[in-house]
Amino acid sequence: MTNAPSPFVRAALDAAAGIPATGIAWLDAARRENLDSFAADGLPEGRSEAWKYTPLRALAQRALALADRGAAGALAVDATRIALPGVDGDRVVFVDGTYRADLSTATTAGVTLLPLAGALAQNPEPLRFALANRYRHGAADAFAHLNAALAVDGLVLRVDDGVEIARPVHVVHVSSGGQADTAWHVRLLLDIGKAASVDVVEHYVTLGDAAQLGTVVTDISVREHGRLGLVVLQDASTATTLVRRTHARLDADATATVHVLELGGALVRHELQADVNGDRARFDSRGVFALSGRQHIDTQLEVRHQARDTASEALWRGIADGRSRGVFRGAIVVAEGADGTDASLSNKNLLLSGQAEIDTKPELEIYADEVKAAHGATIGQLDERSLFYLRSRGIPLSQARSLLTLAFCRAALESLPNEALREHLGDLLVANLPTGPAAD
Amino acid sequence: MNESENMTREVAAPVRDNAEVEAALNRRYEAGFVTDIESTSLPPGLSEDTVRQLSAIKGEPEWMTEWRLAAYRHWLTMPEPDWAKLDIAPIDYQSVSYYSAPKDGPKSLDEVDPKLLETYEKLGVPLHERAKLAGVAVDAVFDSVSVGTTFRKELAEAGVIFCSMSEAIREHGDLVRQYLGSVVPVGDNYFAALNSAVFSDGSFVFIPKGTRCPMELSTYFRINAINTGQFERTLIVAEDDSYVSYLEGCTAPMRDENQLHAAVVELVALERAQIKYSTVQNWYPGDENGVGGIYNFVTKRGDCRGADSKISWTQVETGSAITWKYPSCVLRGDRSVGEFYSVALTHHRQQADTGTKMIHIGKGTKSKIVAKGISAGRSSNSYRGLVKIEKGADGARNYTQCDSLLIGKQCGAHTFPYMEVKNPGAIVEHEATTSKISDDQLFYCLSRGIGEEDAVSMIVDGFCKQVFRELPMEFAVEAKKLLEVSLEGAVG
Repeated sequence: MTNAPSPFVRAALDAAAGIPATGIAWLDAARRENLDSFAADGLPEGRSEAWKYTPLRALAQRALALADRGAAGALAVDATRIALPGVDGDRVVFVDGTYRADLSTATTAGVTLLPLAGALAQNPEPLRFALANRYRHGAADAFAHLNAALAVDGLVLRVDDGVEIARPVHVVHVSSGGQADTAWHVRLLLDIGKAASVDVVEHYVTLGDAAQLGTVVTDISVREHGRLGLVVLQDASTATTLVRRTHARLDADATATVHVLELGGALVRHELQADVNGDRARFDSRGVFALSGRQHIDTQLEVRHQARDTASEALWRGIADGRSRGVFRGAIVVAEGADGTDASLSNKNLLLSGQAEIDTKPELEIYADEVKAAHGATIGQLDERSLFYLRSRGIPLSQARSLLTLAFCRAALESLPNEALREHLGDLLVANLPTGPAAD
Repeated sequence: MNESENMTREVAAPVRDNAEVEAALNRRYEAGFVTDIESTSLPPGLSEDTVRQLSAIKGEPEWMTEWRLAAYRHWLTMPEPDWAKLDIAPIDYQSVSYYSAPKDGPKSLDEVDPKLLETYEKLGVPLHERAKLAGVAVDAVFDSVSVGTTFRKELAEAGVIFCSMSEAIREHGDLVRQYLGSVVPVGDNYFAALNSAVFSDGSFVFIPKGTRCPMELSTYFRINAINTGQFERTLIVAEDDSYVSYLEGCTAPMRDENQLHAAVVELVALERAQIKYSTVQNWYPGDENGVGGIYNFVTKRGDCRGADSKISWTQVETGSAITWKYPSCVLRGDRSVGEFYSVALTHHRQQADTGTKMIHIGKGTKSKIVAKGISAGRSSNSYRGLVKIEKGADGARNYTQCDSLLIGKQCGAHTFPYMEVKNPGAIVEHEATTSKISDDQLFYCLSRGIGEEDAVSMIVDGFCKQVFRELPMEFAVEAKKLLEVSLEGAVG
């Protein structure tokens, strides 16, 4: 597409040259194909509809080397830095994309937690469907191509049929922040068996200040009557660039509920996609971003209803202060024949600064007629009357503002059943909330 | 259709029912006839020479020819847009004739070819005596040229200029030069550039300061000749404290080829001026298998240049095989107001990608969008809209409501609203719903002895009410009828 590959693309090609072959023919071929696609298409540009509000010109000029796996494997990580209240199950830790067996545990019966390399060594065939996936959207899929070509580490999580796991599994992505202009890539595969149930907490933290890029591609499959609760807590440093894609497939009667809290990051893109393939399956998503400074966060939600009597609900809240930019796209697609679908989406945003921007695009694509589908989106400010009410009861303006802002965001987290975790996320949110315009 | 009606009247009572059924079955696109009239056309093809020839036929001044050529050269450099949710067969721009006019050209209304008058009579457009009764001033555009404008004297007394664009270029060159292309620049988009190069006629309206236009103005567009495109250009300028309400209607014969229509409409509202623009678009939609029909690529934009000005778009879109149309408002003046009310109905294989853009630039600007989409058959109906609040638009407000109604299992209804906000003092709200006609609603009507088709048309009418309310009365009646005809055969 472009004449000369950008420094970003050149560096990625160099990085790929240093990755040894796995010896699994289809996997090596898939990596090569993905790399070729990435090299051919480059990063998406302004004309790409999917990347319209997230320019990558600055990123394209950065030559990022792969993060040093030796250093990542040896880095001391303080356990208290990654611990989360209410999250006491098995833990899997990646540091700069490198699996850390010494920090990870796998003790629960009925759950298989394997590093990607280990799972491939045991039996690569079950992973073939996900790992040999072809992404067909050209440059819009650039990071999926990149991740497929360069992610040598990852996690395979399997929950056996009928097993219900009470204690949430904690998946931690630590960015060392140690060496500037480095990148790491992780691939996650979650396979929730029939009538199985599990909660997973995906957690992003940064230790140092150096600017890094992380990409994570997660493939989720929830089988008949299975249940997944996924919580994503993104608390990376404001120097971090994160590009994540979470793709879930739901079989009949399966449910998945996703809660996302985006706090940190310089440039963050999250593509959350659900194929609701089985009858009566349900996919709910809720999320909050609270931005300040020069942060840029882009959430792309797409829920595709492909079967009868499926349901989805999406509730997203955004706050932008300083010079930040919040982007949200929420698409509901109801395929032909997906009668009985009940889908709704709500996206509300607070714009707190004259230098900040919010771009939102709720979409409906409906090809069936026995359907209830609705979406609503707003961009505005705190309600003046509510502020007045609080002030008339003696609450100072700044406090009234933070109370209302918090209430605005919390709607998205309220439905999280894990109480300790919910409280913790609420506290993190309070600590991160922009203060808004100074008190009168 | 007329024939069937006559038949109905003539036959005896007992067989009347059959005849009515027959009439209903035969009822299709009522405006689909062809007028057999001699016309002069440019041969198909598009080049700088075509543009020059066209300009020469119209006796245009040098600046106009150059303006067209600049647009043509720019058009050559542009790619065809592909972002709309439309499946468009490739268009061969060289196979279109860019000019076709009834042979003896436009004259005063009294001398217009009776065949032409008949055509407009048939379409229900009052060009002659009836015009006086209807009280609406009409500019009739037949293929590429305006064939007559009514009520000229009355309008002139009020100081209002209402004439064809060709005449305006000749008679009011300075005004046209000042405003033409100032809202939709020649290179704005692919189809606007094409239109700028080859537009053949259209209407020009100028309402001077402090004038309230004494009657509704209306332009009726008719494509008749085969293999021609229609590229009209409308420019409405409302000076300070003026008001005008403008209506637009369109039809074309039924043909198996797709015909191209690429219009540009520019509205300029100065201080405290108000423009109300209503469209009933009924171009030939093609048959039930998607053969034929008009490709309708239209750029409509209003510029609220003055403070406290207001531009209101109302559209009822039932025709065209493909509709690509986004009437927009640039809210530049402080406290200016933009409105968009739309009903878009698609049936059979029709495709529509339509909506609006509201660009808030001035302080305290307000906009309201009410869009209703109805899809039936195997059609695809998309709402695509942009609400953009620029940094300086303190206190801007927008409210958008999009509702879709699905009739049948094979159609699609889509909503793509874009909201871009850069001012923390603005409030933007969007709501959309998609539903079908509920069985409860139908059952209620049926149990009261209302037939299924009538019930559907009542429910659809209720669904569209918010928009129809905005239409001038005669148009509202026409729009309602049009929906009924367009929906025929959609249920059962």
